Amino acid sequence: MALPILPTTVVGSYSMPGWLERLKTEYYARRISRRDLDEIHDTAVKAAIKDQEMAGLDVITDGELRRDNMIDYFAERLPGVQIDHATKKFHYDFYDSRVQGKLPAGPLGLVEDFKFLRANTERETKFCVTGPHTLSKRIRNEHYPSEQEFAMDLARVMNPELKAIAKAGGHFIQVDEPYFSGFPEDFEWGVKALNLLVEGVEAKIAVHICYGNRYGKPSWEGSYKYLLPGILDAHVQQITLEFARRGGEDLELFRELPPRFELGIGVIDVKTQAVETPHQVAERIRKALEVIPAERLFILPDCGLLHLSRDVAFAKLSAMVEGTRFVRKELKH
Amino acid sequence: MILQLNHLHRKPAASTTQEVVDTLYALLEEGRLEREQFARLRVHLDWIQYRQNFRECVMATKATSDPRAESLPLEVHIDMRQVAPGALRDAILRNLMIGDDAPAPHQDAVFLEDFRSFRESIAWGFNRLYWHRLTDWEEFTGRDYEQALPGGKSDANHPVAVAHCVADFWTLLRDLENRKQLPEEIFVLEIGVGMGRRAGLWMDHFRALDAERGTKYYARLRFLLGDYSLATLERSRPAVKDHMELCSFIVLDALNPLKNLAFLRHKILHIHLTNVYDNLPDEEFARREGRLYAVQVRAYVPASDARRISEELGVAATDIPRTVNRLLEGGPDYLTDRRRGLAFWHEVWQAMRLEERLVSLEDLPDVALPPGLHQEQLEEALEGAPSEVRFHLSSGALESFQNTVPLLHPRGFLQVQDIFVTNFNEYRLGFHGPGKLDGSIVNWVNGVLLREVGERAGYDVHFAPFHYRPGSRTSVLYTTQRE
Repeated sequence: MALPILPTTVVGSYSMPGWLERLKTEYYARRISRRDLDEIHDTAVKAAIKDQEMAGLDVITDGELRRDNMIDYFAERLPGVQIDHATKKFHYDFYDSRVQGKLPAGPLGLVEDFKFLRANTERETKFCVTGPHTLSKRIRNEHYPSEQEFAMDLARVMNPELKAIAKAGGHFIQVDEPYFSGFPEDFEWGVKALNLLVEGVEAKIAVHICYGNRYGKPSWEGSYKYLLPGILDAHVQQITLEFARRGGEDLELFRELPPRFELGIGVIDVKTQAVETPHQVAERIRKALEVIPAERLFILPDCGLLHLSRDVAFAKLSAMVEGTRFVRKELKH
Repeated sequence: MILQLNHLHRKPAASTTQEVVDTLYALLEEGRLEREQFARLRVHLDWIQYRQNFRECVMATKATSDPRAESLPLEVHIDMRQVAPGALRDAILRNLMIGDDAPAPHQDAVFLEDFRSFRESIAWGFNRLYWHRLTDWEEFTGRDYEQALPGGKSDANHPVAVAHCVADFWTLLRDLENRKQLPEEIFVLEIGVGMGRRAGLWMDHFRALDAERGTKYYARLRFLLGDYSLATLERSRPAVKDHMELCSFIVLDALNPLKNLAFLRHKILHIHLTNVYDNLPDEEFARREGRLYAVQVRAYVPASDARRISEELGVAATDIPRTVNRLLEGGPDYLTDRRRGLAFWHEVWQAMRLEERLVSLEDLPDVALPPGLHQEQLEEALEGAPSEVRFHLSSGALESFQNTVPLLHPRGFLQVQDIFVTNFNEYRLGFHGPGKLDGSIVNWVNGVLLREVGERAGYDVHFAPFHYRPGSRTSVLYTTQRE
């Protein structure tokens, strides 16, 4: 499927409706069944796909609406991870999860979610997974000698699942590693774990690195300087970063990014309900074009849209698409 | 009838209670009180916590008519401190409007508004005027506003508490520096600056600690003093004169600091407020027999006070509402005689009372809850509350919190020193406000709801007693972003 120049997509999650939050909580209170919740998730995902299509995105995700958050969705599926179900009060909170032995290999059930996405849109798709560094920071390690070894084993266990997604038609997979920004001292081994995760996966791989979006707020502040030159060792084809909220100062760091990499730039601030205008979006894209050619540029929000209301999320995506169209027109002339 | 004894400070509890019960029984036996009325009566003794308040000695709170409710609440609140000997019976009769010959309560009163949420009450207009024209008020009363505080001074300025806060802050900066994440400019915000003493003291300590440890953070400090009263900001300047080059004075509304400081979103490393939340517009809910009610109020000046004001200040009783509006719009200078304007302000404020009624929340199709508070959170919080409870919604405090935390740096912390109810069961111990503190309003703050809203927004909210002054009722709310 050919993509236009400056393809537009989301980072992963779409707005979580209030009613879905309440129904997830009902499930934890054992007032609705797992079967009902699955049906509810299917319906919500279809609606998220439809919204992305209506907003005019070129690459669609499932909106990650089945996921409570970026950790628990994987922690619950990883064999060998023990979860204290009593620790969660609100669906978005993290479980207290831990590993007390070597992780066994086994299917994680992500392929089914990808197939659902694939079956419900004609457009190009992207499937997102949380990376081993981030998972290793939130799942308590009580077995491995170091976080690094834990992360490497997480990568080993998750790798076959990514291969299966690729085999099922998942041509574009994004690995989310926001915790790199909080723990830049881990970055070197974090990239090694990332490389192990995607080894032999026949798909385009993106890595998304932001400054956190927990409860719609940044978890850290700083500069992307720490990414270079280590990121050049990553076996990925695309790096997507947060620029709208933080300003474009760090863009300059990527002027010399080798041609084998694409850059995904955040042009929508997901930590405010204020909706950008298409002209603001266009201006941000033009600024990025001063650094990297259009052929290697993807247009995204800064991070997931999970914490925005549905109307705001939709309006922001629409503005993003419209602003991108402005620039595409300019590039034609 | 249910008799609820809240607290009876310095009163012979048994005799007080006996007097109330005897009076009500007598009214029942005389046929002036219906058996059905008697059965659903709930009498609260002793009702008031603040000595200066908005209630008369006996106050009836009735529910608005609700055909779906089998039994409407009928409440009588009695403040024994205010009851003159022998006056209880008449006061109860008048408030319950019992018997054909009983005059309607407040029939001669001068009403200043229609029934509404306390949050919307004209009382807050007086509160606003007080802070904007503090100097005028102090000049008239002849005393500094801090003298009205318990102990005559603010806990905000306790030197040990301030030193501990500075030490915690320095540790945070050091940790950020070690992680190479310390911003070039170190922003600190104080909202509600008072006389500026805490800000001055805080910077004194910080400068000394920084010099002692050789960290050179002091010069990077940007201290923002925020208050909605320009007059208050001006008064705070002398207290921070030694640090003037680091200070910015910003007029901002504590309900929405983000509005003026949006450019500092996620950048401020420490935000502090003392005795601000208790002075923000609030409203109250009550749960009676499983049903939730909003408490609505109507401000009035009792007839006897209206007559007195009229005689002493030459403002006809019927003109009082209009004159109050002019006072709140233009300040006390509106009268040719400024002194009379100040006296009018003072007298009306002293005399002002709030009539109350309960309105079933089912009658309000779209109840507007404070920002960040969802209906299911309120229901969840009430699950652990006493079955019969009246509580603050602390809507102003919740709004302020919601509009302040986005300013915090991801590693920053918010400290709020105030009087918090941290458990709904504390409402069994008495009802805490609203009261009058000099010319302003004071209210306890519902910490339970603050914690709920904070947690849902991704913040850990803790309360610790203010242990620096023995007997202090204040607590410190400490908030950091949850990982």
